[in-house]
Amino acid sequence: MAKRLSFLVNTEKCIGCHSCEMACKNYYQLDPNIRWRKVYPLHEETFTLPERNFMSLACNHCAQPECLRVCPVGAYTKRKDGIVIHDHNRCIGCRLCTMACPYQVPQFNKKYKKVEKCNMCFQRIDKGENPACVDGCPMEAITVIDLNSFDELGTVEAFAGFPDPRITQPSVRFVKPQIGFQVRRDR
Amino acid sequence: MLDKNKKFSCSRRSFLKGIAATGATAAVGGSIFDFKPGSFKKAEAATGTSAKVFQNACPRNCYDTCAILSTVEDGVLKKVTGNPKNTYTRGRLCAKGFSYTRRVYSPDRIKYPMRQKGRGSGNWERISWDEALTEIAEKILQIKKEYGSTLPICLNKYSGNFDIMHYGIEGMFSSIGYTSRATGTPCWPAGIDAQTFDMGTIICNDPEDMVNSKYIILWGVNPAWCSVHSMYFVEEAKRRGCKVVAIDPILTQTASKADLYLQIKPSTDGALALGMVRYILDNELYDADWLTQNSIGYEQFFGYVKNNITLEWASEKTGIPEIVIENLAREYAATKPANIWIGYGMQRHTNGGANVRAIDALAAITGNIGKSGGGAQYAHLQTWGFNYHAMLQSPPEGSKGGKDRAINMNNFGAEVLGAKNPPIKMLWIACRNPMTQDPETSVIKKAFEAMDMVVTAEQFMTPTVEMSDIVLPVTTFFESPGINVSYWHWWMNLNEQAIKPMYEAKNDVEIAMKLSAKLNELEPGSCTFPTSGDLEEWVGKEFNDNIYKQFGIQHWKDLKKGPVKAKNSRVAWKDGKFLTPSGKYEFWSEEAFKFGHHPLPVYVEEMKATDNYPLRCISPHWKLNIHSQFQNLDWMEAINDAPSIEIHPRTAARYGIKNNDNVKMYNDLGYIILPAKITETVSEDIVVVYEAWYKNRNYNVNYTVKAIPADMGEKATGMPGISFHDNFVNITRV
Repeated sequence: MAKRLSFLVNTEKCIGCHSCEMACKNYYQLDPNIRWRKVYPLHEETFTLPERNFMSLACNHCAQPECLRVCPVGAYTKRKDGIVIHDHNRCIGCRLCTMACPYQVPQFNKKYKKVEKCNMCFQRIDKGENPACVDGCPMEAITVIDLNSFDELGTVEAFAGFPDPRITQPSVRFVKPQIGFQVRRDR
Repeated sequence: MLDKNKKFSCSRRSFLKGIAATGATAAVGGSIFDFKPGSFKKAEAATGTSAKVFQNACPRNCYDTCAILSTVEDGVLKKVTGNPKNTYTRGRLCAKGFSYTRRVYSPDRIKYPMRQKGRGSGNWERISWDEALTEIAEKILQIKKEYGSTLPICLNKYSGNFDIMHYGIEGMFSSIGYTSRATGTPCWPAGIDAQTFDMGTIICNDPEDMVNSKYIILWGVNPAWCSVHSMYFVEEAKRRGCKVVAIDPILTQTASKADLYLQIKPSTDGALALGMVRYILDNELYDADWLTQNSIGYEQFFGYVKNNITLEWASEKTGIPEIVIENLAREYAATKPANIWIGYGMQRHTNGGANVRAIDALAAITGNIGKSGGGAQYAHLQTWGFNYHAMLQSPPEGSKGGKDRAINMNNFGAEVLGAKNPPIKMLWIACRNPMTQDPETSVIKKAFEAMDMVVTAEQFMTPTVEMSDIVLPVTTFFESPGINVSYWHWWMNLNEQAIKPMYEAKNDVEIAMKLSAKLNELEPGSCTFPTSGDLEEWVGKEFNDNIYKQFGIQHWKDLKKGPVKAKNSRVAWKDGKFLTPSGKYEFWSEEAFKFGHHPLPVYVEEMKATDNYPLRCISPHWKLNIHSQFQNLDWMEAINDAPSIEIHPRTAARYGIKNNDNVKMYNDLGYIILPAKITETVSEDIVVVYEAWYKNRNYNVNYTVKAIPADMGEKATGMPGISFHDNFVNITRV
């Protein structure tokens, strides 16, 4: 049976330290303003108490990838294991994918006039290793799972503000943060 | 270089695979920035160059002091990872650690010695090392001649790089005679003295032992930002059933992950601890056996608490309801083992040391000291028993002055300006950036302006370099060998030279050697520092039998196989033998009394806001930097390139301030203007501004920070600390 590889991001463990993002940049020595993985703060107001929570996002390797659908030159392919790969050689830098992706994953690199994005470190995956972000996270908050066999109990597909997963069926799951008890002088 | 055998879990082979995947196979001399992403198939086919893996050690002033593996290809540093052999680093790094290639290859590096015509003018010219050293050496000799000693020459070196070899710069100063030295330590001395009075010195449990705790109080500490690798062990303890409590005036990242957060009024931590003691006392939840066996003065301490402390008072002081204090005290006393991690932030107050003593006392009366999973954790220096060969040098025969002169690092500007007989005429700055990190920036600037010569050894054009006459380029730790230990974990990491020095950069020891050669050329016998030597051999000269025994190694070269951990690490004070004068835990400390404090852990009144300056500005660490390092790198700027001032919504409303409004934060010392970030993570009575250096921004929180001494620090570090968080300000929308 084919796999459906996905990132599982545990936002309860995540401390928003940006190590995942930097581990990726370090591994691929990305240009300064290119971020294949990004750590987004979740809005304080979305929780019952003020909290510092984050969502670490790279490419979601969607089941229905819009990038792949709109690319006029076939630069995108979806592997049998679900990883969506962008071929830099084929890319003509038209940026249609950057407009189509609801998650703003493909990024235009002005230096090369081409797009680039996270490929889930597929060469590492093929050798049985973890992606660089997974191995870089000090909290072990990111793992790679196979959605075809993963028991999704206790995980969610989206947070408030996350684009509707029905559009592209992103292969990403989250463990939601727990809210601790707070004794505050202002409430 | 690492042994490339199979034992190593991250073998050379897997590294080669990794490199193949990146396509980072540029020809010799090719910049690492020329790598084109994608083109994976091609890149995979184009392997063949040899990658080498080196062991490095992050030398920053940070709890974690990580073991790094660096991959070098054709002499170019390609990437870094954590060393999985170090069970604290666990193969992972923080955002700062992962950004190191951008530091090494930053176009902003100081590349060669330069001379500035007019301090602060920006009118720099490139000069040769020989010119730079000649000018410096001539100045040293001229000062010595004019004043009859080298005391007018002052060294300010501290925490920018804690590699043991970097103490060579102190060694160089000792080698020219008796000089003036910036003495003390800004960040943590009040807590050091507190624990020294209580227990004899600072020793903490192995942080990896936190997984054994059943109750953890993170008291004024933010490991999620300042010690990410420890945060993993906190989380692991939680998974095993431990309750995690965070006490902080700020809902820090750490507090946000805790089971219970207490929003305490700043600087009242001692009142909370003493309130808890009162409850534990009244309900007989203390460990009487431990107290009788291991301590002195507990009767007097209990007497003080009974006569002076009530829960009502503690509640009023701290802003925490009585019932919450009672619950906390009961849980803490009843759940064993219980661990308190005392942060450095909470002791940066005029009563910081007293507050730490009160918290220590809480841990002691519950019998948590000396227990696995327990303790009152602050720090330790038990693995630092090096020879300090690079540092300990003798002055030339007949040197005048008798001994070095201590200049308070924590009031540096004023003390440099005030030094008499002889005055200070020359500054040498290494591993420091006082123009952004010291309080009272304007006074620091005046001190720099009053000098005949200022020399700074640096990697970047910091505001301190901008106020210097000569800048000398120094290597990063990838470019020279060294050895590192931590003040928190118990590992020792060897630092191998992974790449050649960039541009004309030199290690501090090499600079000392070259300067010594120049001094001796101009005036034979004027400097005793060796004029040549192999840096790796110098690393070896730092070791002795005690260190070998402590770490269970035969020879320092054994470290080339991987980092090692001290054998005596796990539990501090397990044997109950304290290093105090009595050999016991001292609730009653004559030493404390000698240094002008109450002998007991009593409450010392906190500093309060004034009518003119009703808000307390707390200026803690920011997650993308360590003091003035890292936030200037482009990878950090891509995440965040501007500071802000965090204000509580109600406070902001009172001042008519909205999100992103420009806010002027001021007091009688100075001001800064910052965009507002309205957030309930701060308390109503405080504002938060993170200390940092952003290149190209005139931002410096220390424009408003006075050099107010903390209550303690003098005994252990020579000078009291700084009350960085007793900074009272006002704000207005501009």
